[in-house]
Amino acid sequence: MMNIYKISVPEIFFGRGSLKYAGITARRLGAEKILFVSDSGLEKTGWLDLIFEILERENLKWIKFTTVVPNPRDLDIEEGARLYRQEGCDVVMSLGGGSPMDTAKGIALLTSNGGCIRDYEGANRIQSPLPPMIFLPSTAGGGSDISQFAIITDAKRNIKMSIISRTLVPNISIVDPILLMTNSEGLIITSAIDALAHAIESYVSLLASPLTEVRSLKAIDLILKHLPLALKYRQLDDLENLAIASTSAAIAFSNASLGMEHAIAHSLGGMLDVVHGLIHPILLAPVMRYNLPVCVNKIAKFGEIILGKRLQTDESTAHAGIEKLEKFCASLNVTTRLRDIVSDRETLPLVCQMAMYDSCLLTNPRPATWEQMLQICEEVW
Amino acid sequence: MQKTTKLEDLIGFGHTKLGFFGEVQKKVQELQASNRELEQKRQEIQAILDGITDVIVVVTPDYRIQSVNQLFHSVFNVNTAENLLCHKVLRGRNHPCPECPMQKALETNSLNRGLSIIPLNGKNSHFEITASPLRDKNGHPESVLLLMRDVTMEKEYEAKYLYTEKMATIGLLAAGVAHEINNPLAAISGFAEGIKRRMPALDKCLGSSQSCRILADDFHEYIDTILTECNRCREIVKNLLTFSPRKQPEFLAIDINDLIEDIVKLLHHKLKHLPPGTVKLDLDRSIPYVRGISAELKQVILNLILNALDAIKSKGAISIHTRFEKDRWIIISVQDTGCGIPEKNIQHLFEPFFTTKPVGQGIGVGLSTCYNIIHQHDGEINVISQEGKGSTFEVKLPHSCD
Repeated sequence: MMNIYKISVPEIFFGRGSLKYAGITARRLGAEKILFVSDSGLEKTGWLDLIFEILERENLKWIKFTTVVPNPRDLDIEEGARLYRQEGCDVVMSLGGGSPMDTAKGIALLTSNGGCIRDYEGANRIQSPLPPMIFLPSTAGGGSDISQFAIITDAKRNIKMSIISRTLVPNISIVDPILLMTNSEGLIITSAIDALAHAIESYVSLLASPLTEVRSLKAIDLILKHLPLALKYRQLDDLENLAIASTSAAIAFSNASLGMEHAIAHSLGGMLDVVHGLIHPILLAPVMRYNLPVCVNKIAKFGEIILGKRLQTDESTAHAGIEKLEKFCASLNVTTRLRDIVSDRETLPLVCQMAMYDSCLLTNPRPATWEQMLQICEEVW
Repeated sequence: MQKTTKLEDLIGFGHTKLGFFGEVQKKVQELQASNRELEQKRQEIQAILDGITDVIVVVTPDYRIQSVNQLFHSVFNVNTAENLLCHKVLRGRNHPCPECPMQKALETNSLNRGLSIIPLNGKNSHFEITASPLRDKNGHPESVLLLMRDVTMEKEYEAKYLYTEKMATIGLLAAGVAHEINNPLAAISGFAEGIKRRMPALDKCLGSSQSCRILADDFHEYIDTILTECNRCREIVKNLLTFSPRKQPEFLAIDINDLIEDIVKLLHHKLKHLPPGTVKLDLDRSIPYVRGISAELKQVILNLILNALDAIKSKGAISIHTRFEKDRWIIISVQDTGCGIPEKNIQHLFEPFFTTKPVGQGIGVGLSTCYNIIHQHDGEINVISQEGKGSTFEVKLPHSCD
C-alpha cells in the first residue's frame, strides 16, 4: 500500500552481562537521581540489588517505585509521577515485564507533559519530550522496552488505553538474557506466547513492511524452536534466543502494529483484568483462521516455518500451520478455552464491542464487526 | 476517544521521537530572553547608580574593589578599578588606611560614617564616607558599599564662615577697646598740651641755675614724648575703629588702575633706590570701575605693596595685576618673590596685633585693617604663599553696577 517505510527503535544493548551498562548509559543521559520502577516480585529475586550496585558505581542516586501491579492503572502512574517530581528525579529506569515498563512510560509522560493519561490516549498526542528512559526487560515477551506503545488501564472506564507515540520509545533498551534465568516456567511460557502473538499479528498487519516482516518471521522461528528447549533444559542459550525472538517481534509489532487478536485481548484485560499472556493461546488460532482468506500466502509462510516444509498449496500449508500452532499451544499446558479465564460468558458481547475501539483492529488484514469477533470468542468458549 | 485513529497515524510519518534538541533550543531561547531582560535591568540599575552624584565603590573585606560607578572613574581619574586594592587606587598606599570606615563597618556589621582627606590633583579633597556592609543570606557581611561624597567645597565654606565669625568677634572687641581708650587718651593728650602751653610760664618761675635748666629740659622732653606717644595711640585707635560696624558710607566709582598708578608714584622716593623694573604693573585697562572709598582702598593697596617691598628686601620682583573675573569680580593681585609666609602664620595673618616684625617695627594692625576695609566693600582678600618663594595677595572687589 505504501512504498515509504518508517521504523522506530531505541538504542539496544543485547547480550549476557549487558546489564552492566545500566549505570554508564544513565550517566550519559544526564542522570543524577533515577526513578527506578519495578515490581515486588522482582525485588525478591535480588536483581534490583545488583542493578543498584551498578548505579552506585557511577555515583548515581535512585528512588524505588515498586508498587506496580499487573495491568497498571492510571492512578498508580499518577502516584509514580508525584514521587518522581517530589524526589527531583531526572531519568526513569525500569526493570520488569510489560507492567513496570508501561508504568514507567506513563510516569515519564505525566512528569513532562502534565495532565492525566487519558489525555494522551490514541496516536501522536504527546507534545513535549519525555525524561530519558532506560528499560531492562526481565521477560522475553512484552517488548515494551522496544515499542512505541504503552497500554494502561483507565480505572474509571475499566478499559485498556493504547497510547502510541514515537516519544514512548525508550532511549535505551538493555536486553540481558541472564535476567531470564529466574523466570518461572509459567512466565517463560506466557512471555514467549506473547512474543509469538506479536510476531504473527505484526506479520499479517496492514502496516507490515519488508523491514518488519523479516523480524516477525525470525521471531516465530526462534520461539517455536527454543521455547520447548528452554522449558526442558533451562539453558541460557535457549533463553537468549527467546530474548532475540522477543526483541525482534517487538521491533516488528512496534512499527507494523498488531491485529484483531490484540484488540480483543486488550478489551478482555481492561474489563476483566485477565493476564495478557494467557489469552493468546486461546485466540491466536481462530483469529488466524478468520484472517486467512485475505492473507493466505502470509499464513502459508508461517505454516512453512512451523511445519518445517511446504504442503502442496498455500491454503493447505496455512491450515496445517494453524493446526500445528494449536497443538504447540496445547503442548505447553496452558488453557485453550476462554471459559477457563473468563468467569462470565455474558460479558463477551460487551468485550467485543469495546474491542471495536482498539486501534489494533485498524491494522487487522480483514475488517471485522463486533459480532464477527463475538463469534470467534464463542467458538473458543 | 477524541479522534479516530487512522493507519497513517500509527506509522506517524509526521511524528518523530521528541528529543532534547528542540527542548534545549527552547530553553536556550528562554535563557536568552531572560538574559536580555536581566541585561536591561542591569543597565537600568547602572544608570541609576551613574546618576548618583556620589562616588560608589563596592569593596571586599580584603580591600579589593569589586565594582564602582561611572563617577568613580572621572573623580579618581582611573580607567579600571575592579580587582585593584582600594588604598592603592585612592591614595597610592600599599597598606590599608588607618582611618578607613569600612573596617569598623565590617567589625560591627553596621553602617559607619567617616571623614577622609584624599589628595586629588595636588589638592586635598574632603570626602564624607558612608560604609554600609552588604550581607550574605546568613547576614554576615560579604563586602562593603562605600558612598563617597566630596565635601571639599562645604569644608572650605565652613572654614571661611568660622574665620569671618572670628574676625567679627575680634573686631567688636578691638573697637570696644579703642572706644574705651579714646576717652582717657583724649584726657592725657589734652592735659599734656595744657602742660606744654604752660611751660614758658614754668620756665620763668624756675631760676636760671643749672639744676633748674636741667629740670626744665626734662619737662620739655617728657611732654613731647607723651604727645608723640599719644598721637601714636590715636593712630592705632583710628585703625582699630575700622573694625566697628559703621553706616554705609557714600561709595563712589573708582578706577582701580588709576589708583594703583597714583600709589606707585607716591612711592617713587622709596622705589628709586631699587633696581629698575622691581615693581611691574600689568593692568587690564578694560576692567570696569569699582564702588568704594578711594582713601580706604588706597590704604589697602599701599599696605600690600609696602609689605611686598619688605618681603623682597631689595632683591626680587613685585608684580601688580588687575583683571576682571566671571563678570563679577575685579581682582587686584600683588605678587612678590620674597621670603613668603610660614604655613602656621597664614591662618593668623589678618588678625589684629598679629605681627612677625621685630618689636617697634610694626604692631600688626595693617593687614587686619585691610581685611576690614575690603569686607566693608563686600569683597574678599586672600593670600597664597610658599615659604622662600613668595606670596600673592589677591583682593576681590565687586564691580560698580553702572
